[in-house]
Amino acid sequence: MIEFYALPNSGIFWSWPKLVHYTLVALAGGTALLTALAALRHDPKLRTYAILAIVLIALDMLVLWAGSPSALRFTHIWLFLSFNPQSAIWLGSWGLVISALLCLLLALNLGPRRVWGGILVLSALVALLYPGLMMAVNVNRPLWTPLLLAFFPVTGLLIALAAAVVLRQRWLAPWLAGLSLASAALGALYLADLALGHTEAREALAHFWHLGGPLFALGLALLLASPALIKRLPLIAGLLPLVGAVLTRSLIIDIGQFQPFGF
Amino acid sequence: MPRYAMAIDLAACVGCAACSVACKLENEVPVGVNRLWIRSTELGTFPHLTVEYRPEQCLHCANPPCVPVCPTGCCYIGEGGLVLLEERRCIGCAACIAACPYDARYMHPAGYVGKCDFCEHRVRAGRVPACVETCPTLCRYFGDLDDPNSTVSVALREAGRVDVLRPELGTKPKLFYLNTPAKFGLAGNHQEVVS
Amino acid sequence: MKLRRREFIKLSAAAVGALSLGGGAQAFMPNPFRGPPGKWFTREVSEVFSVCENCFWRCGVKVYVEGGKVRKIDGYVGNPKSNGMLCPRGHGAIAQTYDPDRLKRPLIRAAGSVRGEGKYREASWDEAFSYITEKMLAIKERYGTEAVAFFGHGTGDRWFAEFLPGAWGSPNAAKPSHSLCVAPRETASMWTFGRGIAGHEQIDWGNTDYMVLLGHHIGEDTHNTQLQDFAMALKRGAKLVVVDPRFSTAASKADRWLPIKPGTDTALLLAWLHVLVTEELYDRAYLEKYTLGFEELVKHVQEFTPEWAAAITDLPAETIRIVARELAAHAPRAVLPVGRHVVWYGNDTQRMRAFFLVNILLGNYGVPGGYYLSTPPVLPEYPHPPLPLTPAAGGCAGVGAAEAPTGFRPAADRNRFFGTATAIQELIEPMITGEPYPLKGLWAYGTNLFHSIPNVPRTKEALRNLDLYVAIDVLPMEHVMWADVILPEATYLERYDDLIGFSYRNPFIQARFPAVEPLWQTKPGWWIARELGIRLGLGEFFPWDDFEEYLDTRLRGIGSSLEEMRTKGTIIQRGRPFLADWEARGRNPFNTPSGKIEIFSQTFADNGFDPLPLYTPPAEGPSGYYRLLYGRSPVHTFARTHNNPILMEMHGENALWLNADEAAQHGLRHGDYVWLENQDGVREGPIKIYATQRIRKDCVYMVHGFGHQAPLMKVANSRGACDNRLITYYTLDVISGGAGLRNNFVRIIPGAPRPRHTPLAQLAERSL
Repeated sequence: MIEFYALPNSGIFWSWPKLVHYTLVALAGGTALLTALAALRHDPKLRTYAILAIVLIALDMLVLWAGSPSALRFTHIWLFLSFNPQSAIWLGSWGLVISALLCLLLALNLGPRRVWGGILVLSALVALLYPGLMMAVNVNRPLWTPLLLAFFPVTGLLIALAAAVVLRQRWLAPWLAGLSLASAALGALYLADLALGHTEAREALAHFWHLGGPLFALGLALLLASPALIKRLPLIAGLLPLVGAVLTRSLIIDIGQFQPFGF
Repeated sequence: MPRYAMAIDLAACVGCAACSVACKLENEVPVGVNRLWIRSTELGTFPHLTVEYRPEQCLHCANPPCVPVCPTGCCYIGEGGLVLLEERRCIGCAACIAACPYDARYMHPAGYVGKCDFCEHRVRAGRVPACVETCPTLCRYFGDLDDPNSTVSVALREAGRVDVLRPELGTKPKLFYLNTPAKFGLAGNHQEVVS
Repeated sequence: MKLRRREFIKLSAAAVGALSLGGGAQAFMPNPFRGPPGKWFTREVSEVFSVCENCFWRCGVKVYVEGGKVRKIDGYVGNPKSNGMLCPRGHGAIAQTYDPDRLKRPLIRAAGSVRGEGKYREASWDEAFSYITEKMLAIKERYGTEAVAFFGHGTGDRWFAEFLPGAWGSPNAAKPSHSLCVAPRETASMWTFGRGIAGHEQIDWGNTDYMVLLGHHIGEDTHNTQLQDFAMALKRGAKLVVVDPRFSTAASKADRWLPIKPGTDTALLLAWLHVLVTEELYDRAYLEKYTLGFEELVKHVQEFTPEWAAAITDLPAETIRIVARELAAHAPRAVLPVGRHVVWYGNDTQRMRAFFLVNILLGNYGVPGGYYLSTPPVLPEYPHPPLPLTPAAGGCAGVGAAEAPTGFRPAADRNRFFGTATAIQELIEPMITGEPYPLKGLWAYGTNLFHSIPNVPRTKEALRNLDLYVAIDVLPMEHVMWADVILPEATYLERYDDLIGFSYRNPFIQARFPAVEPLWQTKPGWWIARELGIRLGLGEFFPWDDFEEYLDTRLRGIGSSLEEMRTKGTIIQRGRPFLADWEARGRNPFNTPSGKIEIFSQTFADNGFDPLPLYTPPAEGPSGYYRLLYGRSPVHTFARTHNNPILMEMHGENALWLNADEAAQHGLRHGDYVWLENQDGVREGPIKIYATQRIRKDCVYMVHGFGHQAPLMKVANSRGACDNRLITYYTLDVISGGAGLRNNFVRIIPGAPRPRHTPLAQLAERSL
């Protein structure tokens, strides 16, 4: 038996505000990417996308700030007074802020549209990639495998597209089906990778399955269901993968905080 | 430039937690979070038993996973290789808490991260950390690894066995455990009996 | 428009500025360029010497004060007790001084209320003293001065369990540290060596090569210096054997663990004596020179073979033999270090006799590597008229007066046992029955009546019968809230106390200086004792009125002064630790009737006790029940530290150690909660199961001191379970008066609910 005097600090460190952030940042990053594509294609709805992206980015940053234990110390300013490109969060912060600024320029129709669009593609990709990176860098958490570097951006973009489809942007529907299938495949691959890994990975998978297996399976099922419904019920076809992606991602973030060294 | 390290002799440690309480008072660590705790693991079956009493705290890794993930540069390696943090820059993102394989970091209720800093304020003044000074079994050693005559260097040389926690992660901890009573190495969650 | 905007900015900036300049609430620091406020050591710190009171080892400490608050307590080099190190309770004592649940003002029980109901009104010190004086004089008038009992434990027990009862005229002063702790070893040691063990166990750890611990869970029992010495001996390579039904922390450091059947230690000791005698492994020269009665011992131990003992103790005969031979091989640097709490099964004095006999045969008493001879410090009393009587309260500092008092009735527990120090648990019955004479008053200073004295229902009945019950304490413990008058003492950090002298290899004297002013209306024990003493007409015994003058006068008697002590903390004197030192001065350390170490005790024979120890089996429990064993946690002291959130964070509840196979048979898993029911049908719990390989199948174990039923102690209340409430039965040791507490048995009732508690972090945040 293991006993303790005092305790290791092995509780969860990212609770529900962080889960909300992960969904919002996916929406924000995805919308910023859509804005960039709209800018490059000279889409008439560019202004709408841009404003939507700004609002989502601002909302995400508000949630991040309000959910931070340091909120009332206003220390987030240090993100922008330092240079730490090796940090996923630093990259993400700049990615989001630059995306917001570019969207603002695009919304106000100031400056070279295609240039802004080009840069916005890059900053939006940073916003989509950094959440997965934030987890995958931690080699001590067996559930946060390198596969998350693919799963999170893909599901992130999926969330944005699915939300757009729900909001009647039908032109995105074919992309939605493809992303949905890709997400489901990556989700299954994530589980398989753990199952075929070494002892620690398999034990982590058992722990994961014990706490959230059925819900994760449900999420995967919802992701798979979408392509079949795209033609006939586009609204549902958008809603299901949205829920499925949020569910699977949240489970990985929440349960993934487990660390085998703890007790 | 010294290279500070700490060694704890597990053959001597009785898990009394004097170090843990001394640390709490010295560093004003609030109740609810800990810089230093004691893990005791029972090994074996009756009557062939042993117990490993192991204090755990920040290991001041030479290759710390917590430093690169910090987005504001608040986490850094300071003088003597001590892994430190500058509270005023902390945004409470908990990336460093996520990165630490040893549960050493915690969120202080005031909204910044805390962890053992090897009592940097004492080390700067030429003293040893509070935990080292108070240990009644004299099982803790602290000093400069680059000085072959420092107490920690001597202890490392003379120990029957030297282990670190989770060496496979490549963190290169500078808190060494000497003479663990468990025959196969430091007790972990998956370790089973060896009598 | 513009103006309003400017004003708004100005106002909000001012507000932000005011908040950041306040430096108050840590959570709100709206200035990202300024970090949190610096810690205590960044500001001006002053140091004060004191003596820790968080257990009874009483290490000399240095107290660091900053901003008018105690911030840290450390040991200091130059103090032979702490040597610069400190145990967790010593460090954690600060939280007790700043505990918002502390007793703050004198309380008088509401008229018409029942004892234990908890209805009190606040009173001034004057009013409280008047109440007590009136009742005390009434008792004196009607029943005599002997009718007031005085219980005490702690540095202040010098006033309340020695001085005041002596001045007042009551022999019924008792310390739990005697008959609930050391009585058997003190009595055995007195009649064997003519010397007590008294406070600091005199083991020459620095030179010993082979140690055998009987029980004695060093490591869980964290007497600072002893732990340091023990650790150094192990580091030096000394061999260790631990005899314990449980694989204690000490056992985890041992070369051999002997998982002995509880209650059979005397048989093991007799078998060792047998081996040492029959194989002629004893120290012949030592025995010839210093002892009497070896020939009788030779005859006596012939039948106690290792095979005989093996059947009783459940240990292999060969192991018993090997240990005896190993002891002899390392003699005289082989020792059985004496433990402290030895009131186990009722025949404890005889067990301690056997224990000392093994040491004697090894020739280690008074010799390097064995027992050194401690010397008491030289420290004159403050001159005062002789006390009418000298109570024999015994305690850690040794046994009290041997003679019955003249001019007063003897203590109410006389004739129950042979020893002369009072037995606290034997003074309870006279409060109920009035035999041999009624006890109608009780003062309890720092003595937890419900967690230390066995048979709690009997204690409560006794309290109900009293005319006066005064509790002097620091926290609203359950027994305190039964008193008629509650007097709040200041904690040790807030007060002077009398000088504390320690018998040691080189004896020393420590002084306690207050670090901070007493909080609320609390007062030091010496002040309470003096004020009450004067009002009770005992003013002549308190011829001082300034306590600093009292201390200074005593110190001047040894060529020092209070001012010198203020800068040093400890004065060390010269001791004579070994026989050679005594012989060099032509002195004999053995104050026995014969002047030699008495292997055969003629005194015991004359009084109807076995002159040489015999094994008597302990009481057995009903089938399906486990013997209840208890012990210590390194972060707790008795039942007194459980309202301390820092120490409770370390160890917040006790668990029942149950053999893992037994647990499986009950269908219990580690962490399940159960009820316990003892042989008298008393239930206790819920308590958590600690399913472990580290204990035999016939007993269970729990750490003492938890399970407070004290709603005014917000941290301690209801955390863990209380072993003492299950100790309804005790076996009186008729030689020493000790109460054998380990003849209680419990059965396990699964299915208790998991308790819910307020998080400690929340309780720790409360303001004073």
